[in-house]
Amino acid sequence: MRRAFYILLIVLTFAGCGTPDADRHTAALYDRYAACSDLSVAQVKGFRLCDTVAVDVVILVADDSAAWQRLKEEMDIRATEGVTSWLGDIDKPARRVKRDEVPLWRAMAVHDEKTVAFYRVENAEQFAALREYQMDRMTNKTL
Amino acid sequence: MTTFDKKWEHEEQQGLLQRLRGERGTWAKRRRTQRTVLATVAVLAVAAVPLIDYSMAADKRYDGVVCNRSGIADSHWADVAGHILTVKSYEL
Repeated sequence: MRRAFYILLIVLTFAGCGTPDADRHTAALYDRYAACSDLSVAQVKGFRLCDTVAVDVVILVADDSAAWQRLKEEMDIRATEGVTSWLGDIDKPARRVKRDEVPLWRAMAVHDEKTVAFYRVENAEQFAALREYQMDRMTNKTL
Repeated sequence: MTTFDKKWEHEEQQGLLQRLRGERGTWAKRRRTQRTVLATVAVLAVAAVPLIDYSMAADKRYDGVVCNRSGIADSHWADVAGHILTVKSYEL
């Protein structure tokens, strides 16, 4: 009986240390680009949008124009300036999806900075928080 | 001392020994339970360490950062994550 209890305890401990399924997409996106020598790739875990809501973010920064061009082609970005944003499929970030297909990526590409950021959206609350964060900060910027 | 007295004394000793054995058994059982509880608490405490959200205590804006380049501060990437959201976009 005691032995079974200890075994259960050990199993639970290891199970608790495992990677949650939700992290799989973020890790997969990061791993896909981390090996590219001409890209700076970062994964920000639990980026706080407000007191109660956080999202995971994967950021890709191209070191040069060639890398940026390649990234743009891969992400199907046709614009040449400003900001391009889209909602991406959680498994294929370049593929555009509709709003209600959570989980998804909220992707934003800033041409001047050769940067694409992917914000992982798991639910409507995170989606609203992202929008609120944008609105708040941009309103403050213009004041 | 009569035979009866001897027998009486013997029986008394046996009874006392039996009682002591019983008490020792109870004591050993209690001690085992205490050890089990202590071990459980210790294992759970160790297992819970990674779950403690230190970032909240430090009032950080993120839980952690992984990067393929060295020499870049984690806070830089959190800044970028916030900054990209606020670059002027017409698709709000």
